[in-house]
Amino acid sequence: MNPLRIALAQSTSKIGSVNDNLRSHKEAIKKAQDRLSNIVCFPELSLTGYLLKDLAFEIAPACREAVESLKQVITSGEVVIAGYVKTDNLGHFRNSAAVIDTQGIRGDVSKFYLPTYGLFEEMRYFAPGDPLADLKVFETVQIKFGIAICEDIWHAEPIEALARMGAQVIFCLASSPVRGLQKTQSNGASLVEDQWCALLKAHALMNNIFVVFVNRAGPEDEEYFWGGSMVVSPSGQIVASAKRFEEDLLVVDLDIDDVGRARRFSSFRDHKQRLHEVLERL
Amino acid sequence: MIIKELFHSDLSINAELVLDYLTRRLRDYVIDKSRRDAVIVGVSGGVDSSLVAYLAIKAIGAEHSYFYMLPSASTPKEDMEDAYAVLQFSHANRSNTRIIPIDDIVAAFEDRLSERLDRVAIGNIKARVRMTMLHSFATIHNGLVLGTGDKSEITMGYFTKFGDGGVDVLPLGDLYKSQVRELAAFIGLPPRVYTKPPSPALWEGQSAEDELGIDYLTLDRILRRRFDLWHDERDIATEIGLDEETIKRIVGHVKSTQHKRYPPEIFRLSFRSHGSDWRYPREWG
Repeated sequence: MNPLRIALAQSTSKIGSVNDNLRSHKEAIKKAQDRLSNIVCFPELSLTGYLLKDLAFEIAPACREAVESLKQVITSGEVVIAGYVKTDNLGHFRNSAAVIDTQGIRGDVSKFYLPTYGLFEEMRYFAPGDPLADLKVFETVQIKFGIAICEDIWHAEPIEALARMGAQVIFCLASSPVRGLQKTQSNGASLVEDQWCALLKAHALMNNIFVVFVNRAGPEDEEYFWGGSMVVSPSGQIVASAKRFEEDLLVVDLDIDDVGRARRFSSFRDHKQRLHEVLERL
Repeated sequence: MIIKELFHSDLSINAELVLDYLTRRLRDYVIDKSRRDAVIVGVSGGVDSSLVAYLAIKAIGAEHSYFYMLPSASTPKEDMEDAYAVLQFSHANRSNTRIIPIDDIVAAFEDRLSERLDRVAIGNIKARVRMTMLHSFATIHNGLVLGTGDKSEITMGYFTKFGDGGVDVLPLGDLYKSQVRELAAFIGLPPRVYTKPPSPALWEGQSAEDELGIDYLTLDRILRRRFDLWHDERDIATEIGLDEETIKRIVGHVKSTQHKRYPPEIFRLSFRSHGSDWRYPREWG
C-alpha cells in the first residue's frame, strides 16, 4: 500500500474577484489540511471565475501575485493546484494551472484546446498552450502527476502523453456547465455528466492511471456548473464522487500501486509510436 | 393524450433533475445574486404561470412569493379557477394572493388614446398593463418579476414586447411548452392546467395553437430539430411527416420575430459600444 491523500476542492468562484476567490481558496486549503491531504486541487480558472469575458484582460495582472501568495498557507510536503489567468512574456493571456508548494509556484501548464463554440469563447481571450512547453510531469515524494485542463480531456493525446511521460495521476481541472436535461442511461445524471464519465473512464482505462476530475459547482453568470467531481481508478471505476450542483470538499485516499497492478493486465505497454507519425502528418 | 405521447418523444426530460436545477437556480438568482427579498408572479391558470408559481414557492418560500391574478373580460372563468387550484396545491400564502381585474384600466387607455384599436392592440395594452402592475408590486416588496414565457413562445416571438416579455428572469425559457407540460405532470399539478389548449386570453376565444397554425408538440419537435440539432428543413419534414412548406413557415416566423428577443438596436459609432463589443459578464462586481 502506497497511500496518497488528495482533496478535490469543488468550489464556486466569484467572477473577476481574485481577492474573494483567494480567500475562499485559503479556507478550503485549511479544511483539506485538517483532513491531512497531501494534494489539494481546485477547478479550472478557480482564482478568477470561468465566464470572465472581457474581465479576463482586466484581472490578469492580479493573478500572479494571488497564486504566489497561496504558499503562505501551504505546509511542508503539501501541494496545491489552482487555476488562473497567466500573462506570458508577449503580453498574451493563457488559461493556466499552477502547482504551488511552500516555495511558491513550482511550475504551471496552459490549456492546449481552447473551446470556441456554443457558450465558449476562449480563443477570443487566450493563447493556447504549447505541448513542447506545457506537457509537464510534476513529482512529489509519493507520486508523479500531470495536469489537463477541461477541453484537453476531450482529446486523446494530452493525457496519453502525460501518462507515457510517467504521470500516475492526472488532475483534470474543469468548468463544465449543466447541459442536456433529457433522460440519460445513468440514473439522475444530465447528458453532459454522462459524457464526462465516459471520457474520464476511457482515459483511466486506456492509460491505467488515476483520473481526478475537479469541476466547479453552482452558479456563475448565466451558467450553472454541475460539480460532480470524481476519482476514476486505473481500472476505470469511479471510486469517489462529490455532490452535484454544490460546493464540496472530497478527500480520497489513492493507492498508487494500483497503477502498476492495472498495467499487468493491459496493453498500455504496446505503444505504437508510428501511429503518432501518421497523426502528425494529418 | 398529450402527456403520454410526450413521454415517448425525444423531447422528454429528466423531470426530477430539471426540477431540482430550476429550483436551485431561481433561489440563487433572486436571493444570492440579485439580493432581493421576494418574487412576483402574474398567474393566469395556464401551465407556464402555474409551474412558475409552484417553483417560486419551492425556491423562495410561500412567505416571500406574491401572486397576482389580473383578469380581463376575455379571461375565461375556468382559468381563474385553475389559478386558484394551483396556488392551493402549491401552498401559496393566502395573504400574498390578490385578484385585480384590469378592464377599467384598459378602458381608460382606450379612452385617452382616442383611436380605434383592433383586438391585437388592445391585447398588447392588457399585457403591458399587467407588466406595469407586476413591476409596481416588485418595487413594493423588493422583489423580481418572474416571467412565465417558455422556449416555444420565445422562439416563435409569441409574446408581447414589453408586456409579458417585460420581466426580470425567465425560469422556463429553455424548456419547450411540451417539456413544461411534462414537468407540470411530474409535479402533480391539476391535470386540466397542462392538458387544456394554451391561450394568452387577450381576446375572447383566442387559441395559441390556432394562431401559430400548429399544435405545440409538433411545433416543439420542429424547433428542436431545426435549432437545437441543426437539421435540414427538408429532413425535418420527412422525419415529422409534414410538408416542407409548413417547416419553412415556422422557421420564417422565428426569423421575423428576432427583434423581440434582442435589446433595441444601437447604431454603433465607437470602438466599444453596448452589444457585441461590450462583453462583460452579466454578473459583474
